[in-house]
Parts: sequence; structure tokens; C-alpha cells
Amino acid sequence: MKTATLWRIYFYSMIAGFISLMMTSSATADSFRVLQESLPKKINGWTASAEDRIYNERSIFDYINGAAEVYRAYNLKQCLARRYSIEKGPAIVLDIFDMGSPRDAFGVFTHDTDGNAVSVGQDGRYRPGWLSFWKHRYFISIYMEEETAEAEKAVMELGRIVASKIRESGNKPELLLKLPKDGLQTQSIRYLHHPIILNYHYYISDENILNISPHTDAVLASYQRGDHEARLLIVKYPDTKTAEDASRNFYKSYLPDADTNGTARLEDGKWAAALQKGELLIIVLEADTREAAHHFLTSIH
Amino acid sequence: MSTSKNVITRRDFIRTGSCFAVGGLAGLPLIIQASVKKPDKSRVILIRDKNVIHDGGSLQGPILENILDEAMTTILDVKDSKSAWQHLFNPDDIVGIKSNVWGPLPTPKTLEAALRTRLINAGVRKENIDIDDRGIRGNPVFNTSTALINVRPLRTHHWSGLGTLIKNYIMFVSSPWQYHGRACERLGHIWNRPEIKDKTRLNILVMLTPLFHGVGPHHFSQAYVWPYGGLIVSTDPVAADAVGAQIIQAKRNEYFKKYRPISPPPRHIEAADKQFGVGNSSSDRIELIKMGWKKDILI
Repeated sequence: MKTATLWRIYFYSMIAGFISLMMTSSATADSFRVLQESLPKKINGWTASAEDRIYNERSIFDYINGAAEVYRAYNLKQCLARRYSIEKGPAIVLDIFDMGSPRDAFGVFTHDTDGNAVSVGQDGRYRPGWLSFWKHRYFISIYMEEETAEAEKAVMELGRIVASKIRESGNKPELLLKLPKDGLQTQSIRYLHHPIILNYHYYISDENILNISPHTDAVLASYQRGDHEARLLIVKYPDTKTAEDASRNFYKSYLPDADTNGTARLEDGKWAAALQKGELLIIVLEADTREAAHHFLTSIH
Repeated sequence: MSTSKNVITRRDFIRTGSCFAVGGLAGLPLIIQASVKKPDKSRVILIRDKNVIHDGGSLQGPILENILDEAMTTILDVKDSKSAWQHLFNPDDIVGIKSNVWGPLPTPKTLEAALRTRLINAGVRKENIDIDDRGIRGNPVFNTSTALINVRPLRTHHWSGLGTLIKNYIMFVSSPWQYHGRACERLGHIWNRPEIKDKTRLNILVMLTPLFHGVGPHHFSQAYVWPYGGLIVSTDPVAADAVGAQIIQAKRNEYFKKYRPISPPPRHIEAADKQFGVGNSSSDRIELIKMGWKKDILI
């Protein structure tokens, strides 16, 4: 093919890509606005403040002290904050985080899964003063500044309304299907693709020895099988070569004493093991026995 | 991808059993020794008054000032509060009061005002005193300060486990996020920076309504604060934090009816002692003096 033709194809591809990007971005902003406009102004006697506040991935630090990095680690697009107040009662704060994709909405939801399951949105959880759930590409947090029975009722009602305004549901990341079911503590599942989040839930090292990045998926989970406990990490890389590099680095930095099966005894008597299978790197971070560690590695495909 | 031979892993911590293995920020060796001379024993005053917080939750200023004065005279073994302040500060000092403005649980304005008044009464010039938090790096008083007072409420914290006196100095650095690794364990490093080292004369951990558990993006629910009605006062921030941490842990155990560790563990307290030499974290090196209201003291 002639060079001029190649340049023409390249040029039109770039233009098409740019237009597509702009349209996606515009559609995203539009649906966020549509959602905003559909939210109730009043809920069980509480009234919304005159204006919502909108934050992006940079200005979110002005709104959330400390934990803003968590939302950035899951690619926060924008956050809508609405405050509901009532004359004699605590304020209720609704935060809708547009994470851009269901996988990131689910991921940021798994950062804190304490509390009791409630039937609100996807995987709703309630603990004193705070309701959280995810739906499609949104993560929703509703908290009351002081817990009262009336406020709790209003929070739950508001949650149901917000969930109903988000028409689509989201699929959980496919990587979760790799987790063995036997003994899985579902509330312990953390889905992530940023090393700061991995280190928060399970500190591995001061450097990113697993090469966790926005291009990798990772899932961390705890297991209880009878008296035996285990922690499992599965990382999916964009290609086999990257997985091989990560595996090599992990062995070098974390399991230099691994045996030929990839298993090593940790300093606290537990066992760790790793095995790379194509794009996957399966790591048993800790298991009570060598056999349990080995079993996890061989049971995941 | 990292290929550094100095990578510090979880296994290093298990091996050494504590924080000794951690290096500081980039460039620090794997193991460093505490470089600052610490006192053999640190005196910590825990003082409480059941009436400092009214049933309705309002803070009673005069009572707060009373317990502050009692704590100051006791900690320095002097006859009155003014002597205590004159013992710690001289008229030529330029004093930055590092406060904390976190929305749900800020340092009470009443306490800030009381500190300012006492400094003035001790002879420090009014124009040489300022109170600040997030603006300290551009604050002329802080930039030229000869002395610092560190005052903040104790609360649980998303990254560091606890928002402590040690943690309160994170605003002195331009990139606080650099300290978030491994539950902010390296916070003690900040205290050894030349512009801070040896300047802090007084630390007050506000225990009026501490936050013992955090939820949600804003890490706050009124359900997890309680009227403890106290102050922890010390010249040693590490010792004060260590005492505060014990109280928070005890409250969590009581509330959740089982051992519910502070999460993430506030490793920075022990690290500030063992690694950075900022103060004493071990109970055998803390002289804890309990004053006032004893009910539900939790320690």
C-alpha cells in the first residue's frame, strides 16, 4: 500500500477516534446530568440544598479529605454531592460517584463492604449512619450526620429512588469467576487495579513488584475452609509477556526461597505460593498448609 | 516494574516483628537508627471532666480552660499555669499553633483561643503567634517560627489508622500522599525535617469527643464519637498518641463487643519512636498521670 494511502487511513482513523471519544464523553456527561435532574428535591421531610456540588478527579480532594485517592485509583470521572436538611434532625448527604464503568463502580464499592446486606441497588450495604451500593457505572454513598430512626428511613428511601433512576445494572468483572467458590468469604472480595489499593488491603511491598496498573485486573479474597484460612490474589495482565515479567519479579522480590512448586514458607509459619498461567498470575498470599496453597494454585484455570 | 534490590516487603516486617525494617522515603537506608535524643521517660497527662461536654453536646469553655491549666501545671511541676507557659515559651518566641480543621471534628476554636491567650500572658507578642492548618507552608509565622504547639482531636483515619499528633504535621510537606504507604508508617520522618525538628514544645491531643470508627467517603458518623471529655497533654507527641491509641482501641472493643483492631493499624506511632526517634511509644517509658473524672476512662 502506498505511503499516501496509509497516511490517509491514519488521518481519518484519528478523526473518527476523536469524534467517537467526544461523543462518548458527551453522552456520559449528559446521562450524569439526566440522573442529577431526576433526583428528588424532597425526601421524607428533608429538603435538598439549593445547589448540588460537582467535583472532578482533581477537585475531589477539596471535598473528601484523605480517601479521595481511593476514588482516583478507580478512575473517578465526577462526583455529585447533594445535601438534604430538615429543621430538627441531622443532615443527609448523598454522593453519587460516576466511575465511568461498572468494573470501577464495583471496585470502589468493594473498598468497604462492612455492614449488613440491604436490598438497595446492587449489593447494598448498611452500617450505622451509612448506606452504600453500586449500580452500573455509579457508586452511591448516602450518610446521615447523626443516626436517627427517621433519618435511616429517609436514607433507605432515598437510596431506593436513586437506584431506580439508574436504569441499567452493571456486570461484575469477569475475573471474579476465577475465584474458587469453596470457602470464599464473599464480603472479603476486593477488586482493584492500583497498587495503593492492594497495599491498603494487604500490604505486599513498598514498590509495585506485581506491576499492578490500570491495564491489569486484580481480585483479592479470603477463604475459610473448616479451620483453615487463606488469602488469594489473582492478577490478570494484558498479555502473557507482562504476566511472565510480573511473576519473575514477584519470585525475585517476595518468594526468592520458593521451591520447585513455587511454594515458600513465610516467617510466620504460613505458606505462600505463586503460579503464572498465561495472562494470569495466581498468588496464594497465605495459607495454613503447603497442601492448601498448592491446591489453590492448581484449582484455578 | 521494580527491580530494586532494596524492595521492602511484607516478609521483612514479619521477619523483624515490627517496623524496624522500613526505610524512610526514597533514599533512606533499609534500617536506620533513631537519630534524635529521646527522654528516658515521657510524662503524659490524661485529664477529664464529665461536664466539659454538656448533655446536648456543647463544649463548656471555662471548664476546658480549667482542665488545660491543671494539665499544664502538673506536666511541668509548677505552681500555676502562667509559670508553666513561661517555662515553655519566652517573649522572643515566634509560635505557630498547628491546629486541625477537619470538618466533622476540628480543633475547638475555644481551645485555640485559650492557647493564644496563654501565650500572650506568658509574654509572647501577639503578632508572633498564629494558628493554622492547611496554610502553614505559606504562613510567615510558621515559616519563621522558633516554637510550635501541636493540637488536634484524635480520630480514626482512612490511611494511617489514626489521625494523631504525629500525623498532624503532614501539612508541613508538599506531597502528603507520599507518606500514605503502609498505613503512613513513615510520618515520623517529617518530624526530623530541619524546619520542624526540636521546635515542638507542647502537644495536646483533644479527647473531648474522639472518633473511634470511620465509615464512608467522609469517614465520619456521629454514631462513632462519644463524650470522653478529656485532653491528653505532653511534650512528647509519640507518648501522647500511644496513650490515645490505647483508649480508641479499648472503645472499639467495648462498642463492637469483641477485639476490633484499628484499621489500618496505626504503625506510625511505634515507627516514630523506634525508627525516627521522635518520642517514646512503650508503656514502660511513659509516665501516665490520670487526673479528674475516672468513669469509663478505658485505660
